Amino acid sequence: MEGAFSYAPAIAAFPLVAFVVALTFGKWLPKKGAIPGIAATAGSLLFSLWMLAAVASGEVYHETLYEWTAGAAASEVGTEGIDFTFGILIDPLAALMLVIVSLVAFLVHVFSLGYMNAEGETGLPRYYAGLGLFTFSMLAFVYADNLLMAFIFFELVGLCSYLLIGFWFRTRSAPSAAKKAFLVTRFGDYFFLIGVVAIAATFGTVAFAGDDSFVAAAETAINDGDTLFGFDAQTWVTITGLLVLGGVLGKSAQFPFHTWLPDAMEGPTTVSALIHAATMVAAGVYLVARMFGYYALSPTTLAIIAFVGGFTALFAATMGVVKDDIKQVLAYSTISQYGYMMLGLGVGGYVAGVFHLMNHAFFKALLFLGAGAVIILMHHEQDMWKMGGLKDKAPVTYYTFLAGALALAGIIPFSGFWSKDEILYDAMIVGLEEPVILAAYAMGLAAVFFTGFYTFRMVFLTFHGEPRSEAAEDPHSIGWAVKAPLITLGVLALVAGVANLAPVAKIVGADITFLEHWLDGEYGAVEGLTYSAYGELVAYETGVIGSEQLTVLIAAGLSLLLAFSGAGLAWKLYNVPEPVPYKDRLGTVGDAAEANYYQDEYQVWLANGLTRPVARAADRFDQTVIDGTVNGVSTASLFGSSWMKRLQTGIVTNYAALLVAGFIGLLLVLGLYGGWFL
Amino acid sequence: MSIGIEYYVLLSMGLFCIGLFGVLTRRNALMFLMSVELMLNAANINLIAFAFYHGNLTGQVFALFTMALAAAEVAVGLGIILVLYRNFRDVDVTVPTTMRW
Repeated sequence: MEGAFSYAPAIAAFPLVAFVVALTFGKWLPKKGAIPGIAATAGSLLFSLWMLAAVASGEVYHETLYEWTAGAAASEVGTEGIDFTFGILIDPLAALMLVIVSLVAFLVHVFSLGYMNAEGETGLPRYYAGLGLFTFSMLAFVYADNLLMAFIFFELVGLCSYLLIGFWFRTRSAPSAAKKAFLVTRFGDYFFLIGVVAIAATFGTVAFAGDDSFVAAAETAINDGDTLFGFDAQTWVTITGLLVLGGVLGKSAQFPFHTWLPDAMEGPTTVSALIHAATMVAAGVYLVARMFGYYALSPTTLAIIAFVGGFTALFAATMGVVKDDIKQVLAYSTISQYGYMMLGLGVGGYVAGVFHLMNHAFFKALLFLGAGAVIILMHHEQDMWKMGGLKDKAPVTYYTFLAGALALAGIIPFSGFWSKDEILYDAMIVGLEEPVILAAYAMGLAAVFFTGFYTFRMVFLTFHGEPRSEAAEDPHSIGWAVKAPLITLGVLALVAGVANLAPVAKIVGADITFLEHWLDGEYGAVEGLTYSAYGELVAYETGVIGSEQLTVLIAAGLSLLLAFSGAGLAWKLYNVPEPVPYKDRLGTVGDAAEANYYQDEYQVWLANGLTRPVARAADRFDQTVIDGTVNGVSTASLFGSSWMKRLQTGIVTNYAALLVAGFIGLLLVLGLYGGWFL
Repeated sequence: MSIGIEYYVLLSMGLFCIGLFGVLTRRNALMFLMSVELMLNAANINLIAFAFYHGNLTGQVFALFTMALAAAEVAVGLGIILVLYRNFRDVDVTVPTTMRW
């Protein structure tokens, strides 16, 4: 495994090459650029697996590749100089994420053959170029070794999502959704940028790992009781952590920045799969995991992360219950699931959060690709009330989708159960000591019920019952390019939970928590970036009910019970030959949920009622005071010179006379002041 | 016996004023040129007188430079007057008044 890491840059470079090829030659290529894209992501996947194997053999890679600028300014903690570099950090977390991203990107590329090429879309080179750039940005973001590089690729990911969501730019809604996604995430990224600058100015470094990382510098500053920019070190770490968190909330669609994500369904379904499972939205949570050591230093930030996560999980799940569009339901489930990950990370459950990130990547990619397959079957119909009865006509789609749905709902033994249960368990044991976390846990637990309900409502409406439209009676056929990714991900959604069977391990005492060992650096790790290192930093007390085993059983039992009751309610209401909508019976609550709790309305109101008057006032100040001053100066000089210019008569004699008169005048003045005439 | 410096200054002043008077009152461009020559030579007289008074050569060297300059100025001036005549059939300086705003 010696030289494996010297090929690490190729992981991100492959999709970049595919991007250039698809953009320049895509028009003339067979399949319009899909082949280079598939080859590149397959290459990335192979290399990522190689990296994974190299890390498993006990090596890690942390190397600065390129220094693009260096400054000499002293930082707040007193270190001299700061370097801005591009470097690669491959530790267990990054290696795992590389595999996830490149696998999902590869499958999405393959699926696109069936979803985009076979449907005769135009503009395919642009589509594949976008996918390539998207994959490149995300992979580079994943193994970025410093915060600034991470920020740059974080922004590039946002740009790619804009390009791809707005792929069908001739419609009215897609460009608007693309703009919304870009602006809302940019709003969060603005705080992220300030956070990056604040961290760089405070600690004089933006590196994630090593002795000269900002995490280590922050720990030292807190231990020494330093005062940073007028705050004590602990407060300042909280402030900068929250600033960076702004970018996370925007990208990972957490409340209140979640509004862009449902609209982003305007993009092709394959793009939604990529955005939701592996790139864009995952970037936010991954960033929290990447700099978890920094957040672990600040209990306040962690509590905020946990609370926002728990709240978002419940909030989004209730909205998913009333949606009729299959992709909308999935969109809200994504927001909700990322809420769980934030909850997990916020309670110090680093392994649980990363585990759910991994499982979610698999089952959400599966569900979105499954929804894409359903949309092909249904001749581009997305309304679930017009589907039904697809179970027998498309068994591959049905069973893989069902696997994804079971994982999403958290039904044992599918992957989603293990990770969600671990998050809820971690939240519960902390919640027994901390009331805020208990509230977050309660919301997360309540969301389990809604998750089970909307997931199976979606499954039953789509696949069960009688066909409710002509399209559903005579579905379009789907090819191998659609089925193969579905089957791959279906298997993963079923078995990925094996990576970390924590509840089983706790009850029977078997040593089968592989992911925990992996992230704890049993194989190879960068010092300070391990689960146990983070565990020492997190200042939470944990409690148990009775014994640890009993607590595990209670946590798992509660979440399973709620998931089953949600699914059972959906079964009772919708698993009938002719299901009817029950939304009207919900009354105003249902209307509010249908209208997304008026989140868009109040944000538009904020923009129109607050930002716009402020902008108008600023504009008026600019137009009147600043422009007025500038214009006044020029008007005065224009007016003055229109008179002065009449001195220039064109007659030489006058000039001479003026010269002489001026000279005599000067003499007189000098004489008067010099006292010659006294 | 030597003549006092003030007489040279008076002579030079008189000469300069005659030149100035010519520039301000005449309209013929040739007269302009001559008047300018008078003013330059008034300056020369001053330079040489003070060089003699101080007993060094600086003023005289300057006077030589001024003469060379005057010769060049006449060459350019006559050229301008020729062009003036060709364009306006006249050497009256008040006729070409278009070179202004």
